[in-house]
Amino acid sequence: MTIKRTYEEINAKIKNGKAVIVTAEEIIPILEKEGIEKATERIDVVTTGTFGPMCSSGAILNFGHSDPPIRMQKVWLNDVEAYAGLGAVDVYLGATQLSERQGMEYGGAHVIEDLISGKKIKLKAISQGTDCYPRREIGTYITKESINQAILFNPRNGYQNYNVAVNTSKNKIYTYMGILLPDLGNASYSTSGQLSPLLNDPKFTTIGIGTRIFLGGAQGYIVWEGTQFYPQVIKDKSGKSIHKGGTLAVIGDLKEMSTDYIRAVTFKRYGVTLVVGIGIPIPILNSEIMKSVSVKDEDIWTEIIDYSFPHLKRPSLGKVNYKQLREGNITIQGKDVPVSPLSSYAKAREIAQKLKEEIIKGKFLLQGPIQKFPQKSKFKPLLEIH
Amino acid sequence: MLNKKVIFTFSPQNVERPVTYQLIKDYNLWINILQAKFEPSLGGKLVLELKGEDKQIKEGLNFVRQIGVKIELLEQEVIWDEEKCIDCGACISICQTGVLSLDKETFKLKFDYEKCIVCGNCVEACPLQAIKVTF
Repeated sequence: MTIKRTYEEINAKIKNGKAVIVTAEEIIPILEKEGIEKATERIDVVTTGTFGPMCSSGAILNFGHSDPPIRMQKVWLNDVEAYAGLGAVDVYLGATQLSERQGMEYGGAHVIEDLISGKKIKLKAISQGTDCYPRREIGTYITKESINQAILFNPRNGYQNYNVAVNTSKNKIYTYMGILLPDLGNASYSTSGQLSPLLNDPKFTTIGIGTRIFLGGAQGYIVWEGTQFYPQVIKDKSGKSIHKGGTLAVIGDLKEMSTDYIRAVTFKRYGVTLVVGIGIPIPILNSEIMKSVSVKDEDIWTEIIDYSFPHLKRPSLGKVNYKQLREGNITIQGKDVPVSPLSSYAKAREIAQKLKEEIIKGKFLLQGPIQKFPQKSKFKPLLEIH
Repeated sequence: MLNKKVIFTFSPQNVERPVTYQLIKDYNLWINILQAKFEPSLGGKLVLELKGEDKQIKEGLNFVRQIGVKIELLEQEVIWDEEKCIDCGACISICQTGVLSLDKETFKLKFDYEKCIVCGNCVEACPLQAIKVTF
């Protein structure tokens, strides 16, 4: 393995308008035609994208101080409670928090989407009152322009790989993987496969703390490994390997984001979540990295899991690859089962294209990790100790 | 031969008319009842698939109209808000009649109204509430 180029060289080419950039989908036929070595010489960056529901998302907001000032102890935004156990006028608004008035129809994710689209948001806060913050309640309206900071900070996004969900029970079940019909009536999955950022750099060579990314239409950063980070690869006897959920913690300026790439959704009888658009550019520093972005849907395997099983270790009903999933039908226990995604491949493709265009225009420069993620991580259950 | 999916809305005044029987007997139409909801004191709705000669379908529907039953074409009852839709696919595998699919090239959602029986499965599966059934 030889180093072909550095981040500095790639950024210099971007500034000169000479960088060659393709998406993780476009690279596949190029590699088939040119081979790894030749393509590594020619191509500088490969862009990836994903647009799916990511529950562990939320926003840090600072409202500014009122006169007289209040130390907000409980805060609601459009009747959705935000966590106020921080400084006087800072809150963390979680995407999955439900409205106290509308329930599952509206939640933290909807407040985030409404903030991005510039709508007025009703703010209510209460406090015990202190000598330095005498006020005990406030009711007003805010917009993203009226407040100091609105920072999207998502502790777990960009799942590397995820299960296919099915239901073997006799009843329809409502899950975060959508509605699952009884008797293996349907199946759902949720990654962008060959376009997925963490499947294109499975060893986390270029994706780490400090990597600059496309987040919700703005430029954001990876700030840590995501919660439940579990980068293990499981290989079976036939050589099929399954990547088990590497994840990302990401941050970006919500004020610069667009509702084209951040959307609130409700999964019936499950709740509210945020669909987040993430794109990560992979610099082709060497042929090893080019090899990793050559990944195709048929190389990426995942497990079919029975979500009707009410315990943590749900049974696996087999393995399937993303090419089979994209065809819309899979065979489980001899039954032909219709399958569909929850994460939008059309949007993932749009994000990878948009990121490519921004790099071509010189608006997006590459920033590599300042620190790598841990190589190993434990996936611990919660034990009940009495 | 024409194939049409229609929704008949009955009022309390005409709810007891044997419309299906008359369409079959007098107009020689092939009828498949997809859905029916009746409350004699309030009226009712009937979703039908009709097959027959162009002329007979026209005359049959005229007869239904004349007795005061409101007729709508089924695609007017299923509203898909394409602006809101993100082409995720959550509505696809839950549809038992194969109305919904992703285009093989663009991966954008396609809606084949011909196959729809207005069951409403897609309405509850859509995370963006982008599909509505007015029936």
